Amino acid sequence: MEFAWTAEQQQFRETVRAFLAEHLPEDWESQAHGPGSEHQTAFSKLFCARLAEAGLLVPHWPEEWGGRNLDAWSAFILAEEMWMAGEPRGGQYMNVNWIGPTLMRYGSPEQQARYIPPMAAGQSLWCQGFSEPEAGSDLASLRTRAERDGDLYRVNGQKVWTSYAGEADTCFLLARTDASKRGISIFLLPMDTPGITVRQIPSVIGEGDIHEVFFDDVELPASARLGEEGQAWDIVRAALALERVGIPRFALASKTLHRAVARLKAEGRFGHGAVEQAARAHAACEAARLYSYQIIDQRHQGLSTGAEANAARYATVNAERAVGEFVVEHIPEALAGGETMLLAHHQRAIVAGIASGAAEIQLNLIATNLLELPREPR
Amino acid sequence: MDFTLTDDQQAVAAAIEQIAEDFGSTPTEAHGFALVSNALDEALTEAGFFDIAAVPELGPVTAAVAVEQLARLPWTTEIALSMLVGPQLDGDWARPFAVIENGRPSRFAASAKTWIVIDGDQVSIGPASDAVEPVESLFAYPMARLTQAPGFAALPDDQARTIRRLLRVALAAEVAGLMQGAIDSTVEHLSVRKQFGRPLGSFQALRHRMAECAVLAGGVRHLALKAAWSGDDGDAALAALHAQDSATRLIYDVHQMLGAMGMTLEHPLHLWTYRMKALLSEQGGRGGQAVEVARHCFAA
Ligand SMILES: Cc1cc2nc3c(=O)[nH]c(=O)nc-3n(C[C@H](O)[C@H](O)[C@H](O)COP(=O)(O)OP(=O)(O)OC[C@H]3O[C@@H](n4cnc5c(N)ncnc54)[C@H](O)[C@@H]3O)c2cc1C
Repeated sequence: MEFAWTAEQQQFRETVRAFLAEHLPEDWESQAHGPGSEHQTAFSKLFCARLAEAGLLVPHWPEEWGGRNLDAWSAFILAEEMWMAGEPRGGQYMNVNWIGPTLMRYGSPEQQARYIPPMAAGQSLWCQGFSEPEAGSDLASLRTRAERDGDLYRVNGQKVWTSYAGEADTCFLLARTDASKRGISIFLLPMDTPGITVRQIPSVIGEGDIHEVFFDDVELPASARLGEEGQAWDIVRAALALERVGIPRFALASKTLHRAVARLKAEGRFGHGAVEQAARAHAACEAARLYSYQIIDQRHQGLSTGAEANAARYATVNAERAVGEFVVEHIPEALAGGETMLLAHHQRAIVAGIASGAAEIQLNLIATNLLELPREPR
Repeated sequence: MDFTLTDDQQAVAAAIEQIAEDFGSTPTEAHGFALVSNALDEALTEAGFFDIAAVPELGPVTAAVAVEQLARLPWTTEIALSMLVGPQLDGDWARPFAVIENGRPSRFAASAKTWIVIDGDQVSIGPASDAVEPVESLFAYPMARLTQAPGFAALPDDQARTIRRLLRVALAAEVAGLMQGAIDSTVEHLSVRKQFGRPLGSFQALRHRMAECAVLAGGVRHLALKAAWSGDDGDAALAALHAQDSATRLIYDVHQMLGAMGMTLEHPLHLWTYRMKALLSEQGGRGGQAVEVARHCFAA
């Protein structure tokens, strides 16, 4: 058991930090950049291209696809530094974390040749078309249909909450190819295909983050299907295993907490109640950090991660909540024209218990798989 | 960063598991509030397990793993301070240890050979005497109070600080195991006990609360091991804070889930929960830990 970083890991972190210091604009932190806004997307293409040149966009990918074969720790250290810096990669982090690796594993040679190089060059933006109005936590009940017609599929239906859809070039789409519960397939759908309509959903979480996407007789070739018909579930499970501890939320939560405390101290406002609340929030952040590191350690060793990954997710939700509540109570001006960094954290923190699998769903999984409690009757 | 135990650590953990097997079940005959086993004490002494924190290949983190493992048991003896504090002290002090905090009744004070005395900001240490009397208590440790102040000389600040850190780590490691023991016992009950024609554990309201408890217990364990490893004052305070905070929440939840059965001495749940209750106030309680966290983690 060892809690220290190796010299190489530290060196790698320094390299990433130096890159950020050099390539982020000076006023980066004080700019409001909605995660999926036009401005953020344009910036991410410049920024990710430079990351790619420096070998820091996909360092953990195999060399064959433009990577350097670095390990799971490097990927996570990179993710921590990027997330703490306000995720200048925008939605491209998804390519790096799970879309690229999923295509490497399940894609046809044509799909790989078409989609992976632009990801590795930092030039493509994807969106994830899973959730629907009637299918949130119960994803398997999704209704968007893809009907086979000779060499074509014809897609009809609707997605919702789709991040980055307004600017994305390709959609990683789940659609039903037969009526059975598991009859779901994955399609790689160019977003400029006729019949797609995207509407941004105004929200409290920043510009360009969530959208509705409508599919109206959208035609795509059978070669756009990823894997076999009905294979979506296996592929998604493998992909989401990478995503469950994908975003190192604890890192920004912790940075935010320290920033908030420093400010309260400077203003002579770090009194009794604030001290206790801040200390608790800090403990929650550090617990989430260690939980997450344990999962990365398992990933690093090639072990499959079980319900402990759900526990890590839930610990992270606790940390985000504790820090978010601390800031709202003690620095309310953060939500009213105050420090942009605190506001940006707030907007990211409030989705922690919902996006990529709601907190209560994590608890269901922990109860069943970690505690082995009897299941709920269906 | 590596969460797997080394071969040496694994060997110790396995050996402790072996010893633990003999002390894993509660006696069927009535027992009192506490459940102390001299045989457990002897087995751990004989194997040399009270000294592992001082063994270079093992160190405090291995001792913390052992404390957590052993705290899950219904039977107990003075383990945490002997494993995590004693071997890291300046000077040779005989175990068992007891901490006398601001004159309050303390666990193991009557059987301890060494007393650590905390009075406000001052910490002192010295040999136990017979100026001590047992007190009846709900806490599931043998409790006793000193009949006169021992009058040990106050330690210099740096030594006092080290002792406080070690005590916090010991507290967190012990609470981690106590939480797990209480969870295991409650899960067993929820899986067997049926109401409304189904096991209680299939009701989501209870499943979720148990899952939250499990997440908290895992977090306390992580923080305790990290603090044992790092020897950092801030880490120790964070671990103790998360331990006391999480235990407070868990104790209520698990007792709710046991219903009236949880109030009895027949069911072992009280052994874990009332040990935790004894630990909730130690080292200044949550407020005390928070001040320490602020001092060490939010400096300038
Ligand atoms: C910022 C953001 C970005 C997102 N981006 C994307 C994206 O890019 N692509 C995409 O496909 N989706 C995206 N989502 C959607 C996200 O995956 C869903 O919000 C999530 O799966 C929950 O679904 P829902 O919102 O429909 O909530 P619901 O499923 O309706 O849940 C509402 C509440 O009920 C609880 N609940 C549901 N089922 C159970 C149960 N069985 N037991 C107990 N409680 C239950 C939930 O935990 C939650 O508290 C995004 C969401 C957010 C907030």
